[in-house]
Amino acid sequence: MSTTRTFTDMEQIICTTARMMEEERLYFVAIGGPPLIAVLLSKRLRTPNLTYVVEDGTIAPAVQMPAPAFLIASSAAGYRAVAWTDMNTVDFHAGLGYIDYGVLAAVQVDQYGNFNSTFVGAAYERPARRFGGPGGANEIASLCWRTILMTRQQGRKFVNKLDFMSSPGFLDGSPDARQRAGLPADTGPWRVVTEMAVFDFDEESRRMRLLAVAPWATVDDVLAQMEFKPLMAPSVETFDLPSEEELAALRAEVDPSGRTIRGRWITVEEEDGRAHLVQQEAAGEES
Amino acid sequence: MSVLAAGTGVFKPPDPDGFRRHVRDHKERRLVSKVMSEHEAIERFVQDGDYLSYDCNIWNRGPASLMRELIRQRKRDLWIAAKFTAHDATLLVAAGCVSRIDVGWMEVGRVIHEAMAEGRVQLFEWSNGALAYRQLAGALGVPFLPLRYLGGTDVFRTSGTKLIEDPYTGQAVCLVPALNPDVALIHVNQCDEFGNARIFGAGVAPVETAMASRKVVLSTEEIIPNEEIRRHPQQTRVPYYMVDAVVHAPFGGYPGSVPGLYRADVEHLMEFGAAQVQGKMAEYLDKWAFSVSSHEEMLEQRVGQEKMERLRAEETIREGYYE
Repeated sequence: MSTTRTFTDMEQIICTTARMMEEERLYFVAIGGPPLIAVLLSKRLRTPNLTYVVEDGTIAPAVQMPAPAFLIASSAAGYRAVAWTDMNTVDFHAGLGYIDYGVLAAVQVDQYGNFNSTFVGAAYERPARRFGGPGGANEIASLCWRTILMTRQQGRKFVNKLDFMSSPGFLDGSPDARQRAGLPADTGPWRVVTEMAVFDFDEESRRMRLLAVAPWATVDDVLAQMEFKPLMAPSVETFDLPSEEELAALRAEVDPSGRTIRGRWITVEEEDGRAHLVQQEAAGEES
Repeated sequence: MSVLAAGTGVFKPPDPDGFRRHVRDHKERRLVSKVMSEHEAIERFVQDGDYLSYDCNIWNRGPASLMRELIRQRKRDLWIAAKFTAHDATLLVAAGCVSRIDVGWMEVGRVIHEAMAEGRVQLFEWSNGALAYRQLAGALGVPFLPLRYLGGTDVFRTSGTKLIEDPYTGQAVCLVPALNPDVALIHVNQCDEFGNARIFGAGVAPVETAMASRKVVLSTEEIIPNEEIRRHPQQTRVPYYMVDAVVHAPFGGYPGSVPGLYRADVEHLMEFGAAQVQGKMAEYLDKWAFSVSSHEEMLEQRVGQEKMERLRAEETIREGYYE
C-alpha cells in the first residue's frame, strides 16, 4: 500500500534536527527561527524534559502549545522558565562549558563548517544581499561543546569560499585551529542538517562528511547541490521523512502561524518501505 | 603580552578616565526628581553624532516611544549598537537618524539595503554577545575584556578585536574594547521619580547598558513611590544615580510587547513590514511619528483606547512579572 506525504524542505530539516535531541543535554538556541522550532518540536513529541537557554537570558522555559503567532515578541517564549537572566549571563554559562549543543541556522556554510549569516554577493560595504548578521551565532558556535547547523541544500549555500565568515566552524581545518584563534578546546561543528542530507565532520581533516540522505534523494542529488565535494561515510544511511505526527504537531501547535516552517513543497510517495519523489517546487529566494 | 593578530575595524574608542570625569562632573548624586517629558529628555540628552544604545528591541520591551521622539526631533548622525535588535535600526535609518551601526543582529530589508547602496549608513560587524560584552567592559570601567569567541572569523578581521597571548596561560585569547555609549535608552516596568528602576523578565543587557552609558534616559510604564522601592530593594536593577531622565510612558514599548502588561500589536508590525516592502516608509513615519506631537497623542489618535485595552487583555501571562 502506498502513502503520499507532502511537506516543506524546512519541515524536513526541523524534524531531522529534532530527532537528534536528547533530554540529558542542554541546548542553546537563537530566539526564533528553525532552531527554536526544532527544540520545541522535540519537547512536544519526544523529550518533554529537554532544557534550553535563549540568548535573551531565558533559562529552561516551558512554552505552552499552541505557540502564539509571534512567539519571538511574546511572554509565551519565557513562560515558566527557571530563571530570567540576560545575554551576558547565558553566554558565561556557555563559556563555562555547561551547554552541550548550540543549534543555529546558516545562510552559507563551507567544508569546515564555518558559516555566514551576514551577506552574499559583492562587498561587505555594499552587498548584493544583506542578512541580519552574526546575531548570537558566533558566541554559540564558539562556546557550546557541539554545534548543529540547519540550512537548505543548495549549491549557493555549500560553497568553497564564504562571502563572509560570521561564525566559526573548524576555521582552516588545521589541528587546533580553533584554539589558536582563542576559542575553547574540544568544541566545534557536529552536524549539518538539510532537507536532503545530514553531514558530520571527519575527526582528522575536519572536513564535512556525508552521513545520511533523505529517502527521496540520492547521494548524487546531494552532491549536485554543493560546490565542494564532501567526504563520504563508510556507509551512507537513509533518514526518515517527517512523520504525520510530527507534521501535525509542527503545523497545529509548534508553529501554527507557519512563519518558520514555510518553504519549498516536496511530495513523496512511499510504497513497501521505498520512497520516491513525486514532485518538488524549485528553490526560491528563501534564506 | 604580545598581540598575535588584530582586526582593522573602526570602533568607538574606550576612555575610562573620560567616563569617570563625566560621572564626576555631570551625574546627580542627590535624590532629586528627574521626571520630564519625552521631548525634554531627548532634546537634552541626545545630541547629533552620539553613540546610542538601547535595551531590548521594538518587538519586546524596547524604548519605542523614545525612538519615535528621536525621529520627531530629527536627530542625526547617530551611531547605534544593534545588539539583538529587531526593526529598530530600520526605523531609525529610514528616518535619517543613523549613519553607523554596530551589528549584532537586526532585521534587514529594503531600507537598510538602499541606505547601504547610497552610502548613507555604514555597518560594523560584531555579534549580539560581543556588543553586550563590550558594554559589560564599559560597565566595569575597564578599557577591554578578554573573551573566547570572535577569533578566526571575518568578524575578528573587520572589527576592533585583538588576539593576544594570555600572560597567565600562554594560550591565545581575544580582547575586545570596552563600549561606553554616549547615551542609553531603556524602557522599564517601574521606577520612582529619581530613577530607581525595576525591570521584569529576561532582558538583553539593561544593567550593563545603563552602567556603561554616560547619559541614561529611562521611559517607564509606571512611576511608583520611592517608599515602594525601599520596601523591595532587591528588585531595583538600576540605581537612581545612573539615571538622567525619567519619562512616564505607559505603552512605551508599543508596538512591541511589555511582557506581563500588554502583547505586541502584530497588526502594526505587519503595517511596518508592508510599508517597507512598498517603499512607503515616509508615510509610515508621518503617521506614527511626525504627525503627532507626543507619545500620548499617538496613543490617543493612532492606537485608540479600544486597541490598548485589547492588547492588555490579550496578555494573559502575568505570572513572574506582576504576580
